Amino acid sequence: MDGVYYEKGWLGVVFTLMVAGFILLNIYRARKTSGKLFIRRIPGLNAIDDSIGRATEMGKPVLMVPGIGTLNAISVQALQIFAYVTKTAAKFANPIRLCCLDPAVYTVAQEIIRDVYQTEGVPENYDPDSVRFISDRQFAFAAGVSGIILRERTAAAFLMGEFFAESLILAETLNSIGAIQVACSTEITQTPFFVAACDYVLIGDEFYAASAYLSRQPVLVGSLVGQDWSKLAIAATILLGALVNSADGLKRVPDEANEGQTRALKADEKMITDLFSPKKPEWKPAGGTQ
Amino acid sequence: MIPWLAQAPAAPALNMWNAPAGTPEIWMKVGIAMLAGFGLLAALIAAPTRLRRPISGAFIFLAGLFWVLVFLFPKPIDSQTPHEQRPRGFVQDVSFWLADAIPVVSNFSNILTAFILGLGVFSLVRIHLMRVAKKQNDWPFSVVLLVSMVAMATFGYWDWKTRLDLGGAKVDEAWPLAAYGKDLLFDGMLQVMEAAMFSLIAFFILSAAYRAFRIRSVEATILLCAALIAMLNLMGAVVVTWDGMIESFGKDNAFVMNFTLSSVAGFIRDNLQTPGIRAIDFGIGLGALAMGLRLWLSLERVGGN
Repeated sequence: MDGVYYEKGWLGVVFTLMVAGFILLNIYRARKTSGKLFIRRIPGLNAIDDSIGRATEMGKPVLMVPGIGTLNAISVQALQIFAYVTKTAAKFANPIRLCCLDPAVYTVAQEIIRDVYQTEGVPENYDPDSVRFISDRQFAFAAGVSGIILRERTAAAFLMGEFFAESLILAETLNSIGAIQVACSTEITQTPFFVAACDYVLIGDEFYAASAYLSRQPVLVGSLVGQDWSKLAIAATILLGALVNSADGLKRVPDEANEGQTRALKADEKMITDLFSPKKPEWKPAGGTQ
Repeated sequence: MIPWLAQAPAAPALNMWNAPAGTPEIWMKVGIAMLAGFGLLAALIAAPTRLRRPISGAFIFLAGLFWVLVFLFPKPIDSQTPHEQRPRGFVQDVSFWLADAIPVVSNFSNILTAFILGLGVFSLVRIHLMRVAKKQNDWPFSVVLLVSMVAMATFGYWDWKTRLDLGGAKVDEAWPLAAYGKDLLFDGMLQVMEAAMFSLIAFFILSAAYRAFRIRSVEATILLCAALIAMLNLMGAVVVTWDGMIESFGKDNAFVMNFTLSSVAGFIRDNLQTPGIRAIDFGIGLGALAMGLRLWLSLERVGGN
């Protein structure tokens, strides 16, 4: 390419492909073993059945909120977990409320929930109003969901997905009526609020592990094991990087400013920077006008 | 390269997907696109059930492939480089084509979202009209919602149309009823009510923090201590008093100086909090990647399956 393009950081691309390879390989392995790979226990997910059981005993609805993000991998993951929750709720004919901020998420959620009721053999129990589009404005949504919580006295709530400032409003409103809350946000800044206000919290990638843990589908279990392999690779890279960086830190090179003197390597001269940071090469078009 | 997805090289930057506003050409293209869209939808509905999944899977794969290529393919030099000065060759052409096609492809999802918003509004109206019709619990709130929705849409459209016809500056000067109504509803009511909801967080933080910081377990105690140090470190008077006291024990003693409030808070931030956040970020990133891969390759089965 002769310096025509930005250097994309080939190592990053190779690493991404390696991670994708790990995931696909383990999906293949899990399919061969019918998903019988080990997954550690996640307490927050064990609480799901208890929460639904409690809601059934009280005859109150189960509330689900897939965050306020658009239709992306996070929302789909949240809906995947909610499909399991709905499946359990459908067995006990327990009412559900799924509140959406994004119309695209709402549309997909409606299809998924209807599908769950049909698969469970109780399509007549599906209430189209159980999946609701509330508002596409953050605080109007928070106010709307809080209203539903207070009016319908939901007994269990699942707040999972991309949450921002409304996380605490919802969690505290739920707490005020004594609902059991299982929560998870992919936003690091909101996790502490959930930890402070909710009964069970899934942290970080436990959110992505949830569907594998609950459904034990070979594809999901294999994908989860692939993620774990990738984490090991990342940990090894960090360790190796620390060692290489430390070794680079000991190196001395001739100092251009002071003849005869040596200096330590600058940050952008170290191997780690060279490997990971994209560089913009000097390039001039043939005409020389650039 | 194929020109039908990317922007045309010379100004005006138009391609087969757009045309100058208000011209018969653009209306014709809108009509054709609508017909093609409905035709595709009808074909998908008419297709045998077992074929629907592979068909939608193929569309998902193609859409995902575009973004995968955008990520993996070498990134072009500054897109402002005049077209005739751009380098030539297959790799270069694909690279420029991908970069130019990003806004066009992004518009596809924007248009889909706009259509889906209609479904959301339909759901909202249906639920609340039913509630009013059946006089269910708290039905007056539903009336408020429906009236607010109609009023906001009416004044919003009226104001937009007035500004389009008269020009923004003239509207601001004359301040007609449309502008007054929209300003009252949006800035005077909606924004204020949203700010009120946001401000509730201050009180909720207090009650949540009270529960979280009660010493019930070892973890809660550690949380309390770390939070206390972080909070105290933000209080200037406390920092000056504490750090002054530590300095009085020996300013030149590096070991003693480790116990200044800012040093302890900095240690917690740099050595405990930041690595923890980084680790969680890695996990979330990997999870998102795995999820994206499963969706892209149609390996994911969401729902009752």
